[in-house]
Amino acid sequence: MKQIFVRPELCMGCRSCEIGCAVQHSKDKTLFSAVLQSPPPSPRLFVESAEDVKMPVICRHCEEAPCLNGCISGCLYRDEKGFVRRKKERCIGCWSCMMLCPFGVITRDKEKRIAVKCDRCHKLDLPACVNACPTGALQLVDLDEVPKEIRGRAVLSGTRAYKP
Amino acid sequence: MRHVIIGGSIAGISAAKAIRQSDPSAEVAVLSGEKTRPYYRPMIPFLINKGDIDITFEDDLEKRFGFAVAYEKAAGIDVAKKEVRLESGRNISYDRLLIATGSRAVVPAIPGIRGEAVFTLRTAQDARSIGKSAEKARSAVVLGGGLVGIKTAIALRKAGLGVTIVEKLDCILPGKFDRRGSEIISNIVEREGIRVLTGMSIVEAVRAEGELRGVRLSSGDTLDAGMLIVAAGTRPDLDAVKDTGIRTQTGIVIDENLRTSVPDIYAAGDVVEYTDLVFGRPAVSALWTNAEEMGRLAGRNMAGGKAKYEGFLSVLNSSEIFDVPVMAIGLIEPDPLSREYESLVEDNVDSYRKLVFKGSVLVGAVFINDVENAGIYTNLIRSRMQIGGLKEEAIKGSLRYINFIRTVPEQTMSA
Repeated sequence: MKQIFVRPELCMGCRSCEIGCAVQHSKDKTLFSAVLQSPPPSPRLFVESAEDVKMPVICRHCEEAPCLNGCISGCLYRDEKGFVRRKKERCIGCWSCMMLCPFGVITRDKEKRIAVKCDRCHKLDLPACVNACPTGALQLVDLDEVPKEIRGRAVLSGTRAYKP
Repeated sequence: MRHVIIGGSIAGISAAKAIRQSDPSAEVAVLSGEKTRPYYRPMIPFLINKGDIDITFEDDLEKRFGFAVAYEKAAGIDVAKKEVRLESGRNISYDRLLIATGSRAVVPAIPGIRGEAVFTLRTAQDARSIGKSAEKARSAVVLGGGLVGIKTAIALRKAGLGVTIVEKLDCILPGKFDRRGSEIISNIVEREGIRVLTGMSIVEAVRAEGELRGVRLSSGDTLDAGMLIVAAGTRPDLDAVKDTGIRTQTGIVIDENLRTSVPDIYAAGDVVEYTDLVFGRPAVSALWTNAEEMGRLAGRNMAGGKAKYEGFLSVLNSSEIFDVPVMAIGLIEPDPLSREYESLVEDNVDSYRKLVFKGSVLVGAVFINDVENAGIYTNLIRSRMQIGGLKEEAIKGSLRYINFIRTVPEQTMSA
């Protein structure tokens, strides 16, 4: 299965991914209408920085997803592609998923009072964030092509270069 | 291998799924004491206002996971024969057994408490009965200011009733929120018209010709009430393990692989007593999230795995109280005389944050109306990571996942 692979050493913190994500999840899916939308559409991934590291922090659609396991309403579910998604109408805004997501990538829609998270752009071949990234810091890769050991090191070491 | 699971709520269902995922050839039978399809139990307060919303598990369990739920109550276990006795008189044999019978509401012995118009809230059926009764009643008293009591009080208030919460201790949500958090939540519910009486107990449910008229309080006052909801806590449902020799204290005692003291019998969920990660002593969890995890690990082990269960946080609550998000995680009210703990507090007009540290390890957090990124804190509490250098970011709310990466020491890095 293809997954989004983050390469922090290539991230320059431009936030193009956030914009791409927000536009994709706006009503008309165009930048011009998205900026006029009220309230503005919000991204579901976040470029974070600390000292000399920058990177987009994104939902991993974890194999053992704390958000999904802890959802008390039956809103979150795993779809046939393996993505952790929402049945929006079942969210009651208890925020249990927010309390449990170790990456901090679930946010609140304060108007609708429901949880908001990455849907991996399940209808698109290429997720909007990956499509918007100009440097290759976000890539869609086949997991089998990147050994687990390298993936772990790339994430934990932050700035250190990933050498395939 | 034949697995039998007593209990059709989240611990039992997540165990059944895990067994079938680990061992697709396993035969799994789930026994549910309730007559309805498995459902999301924490949702039942919502049924008070809307009895017809769907709170059931949508998964077609049989088709997707290959196990069926039998709506039969277990009456006992014959440990020597490895059989479960059903109330219907039938026996079913097992190779491995999981006890996931959950907990039941505690009803204190108060004169007049037995009879109509007195309710507990444990099942979907209970919630619908409360909803029905609320259509006729004008006022209700809720005994107990815990989470169930407050959620019930909110639902009844939304149904238009006059509602009073009576809590025996001197604040609501005792043990589930810190004092200040409890005070803030108390103010919110009172602002919405719910009366909160603390340091008070009910000494009598007053009836006239059998009909509930109100309650008499320890203060001597009487409150009119057409309904009394007893939300005075829960206790593990140990009926099924009577005379089995399975070791129990408050709940069933399990080892780190979720096994009971009797071979081939496992236990998970609210019925279990196990280590609280921050208190370091045995506790009963009574929380959905923990029951799901215990069930999942127990199931994996029943199918031959060796999953080790570290323990749970018996305080791990997230909720909305009249549109205000509130969360409490871990050890939230350290002993004021103890020098081991340090509490950092941001008490603002419209939000409240509190973090409790033991040295450089975060052990507890309370967030009210400022809950963004809360999961990062939960994860820090669970993992007991040293984050001494990030205390300021933590209390200001600017802690992010990326900070957390940076604090991973080199030697712990492995894929």
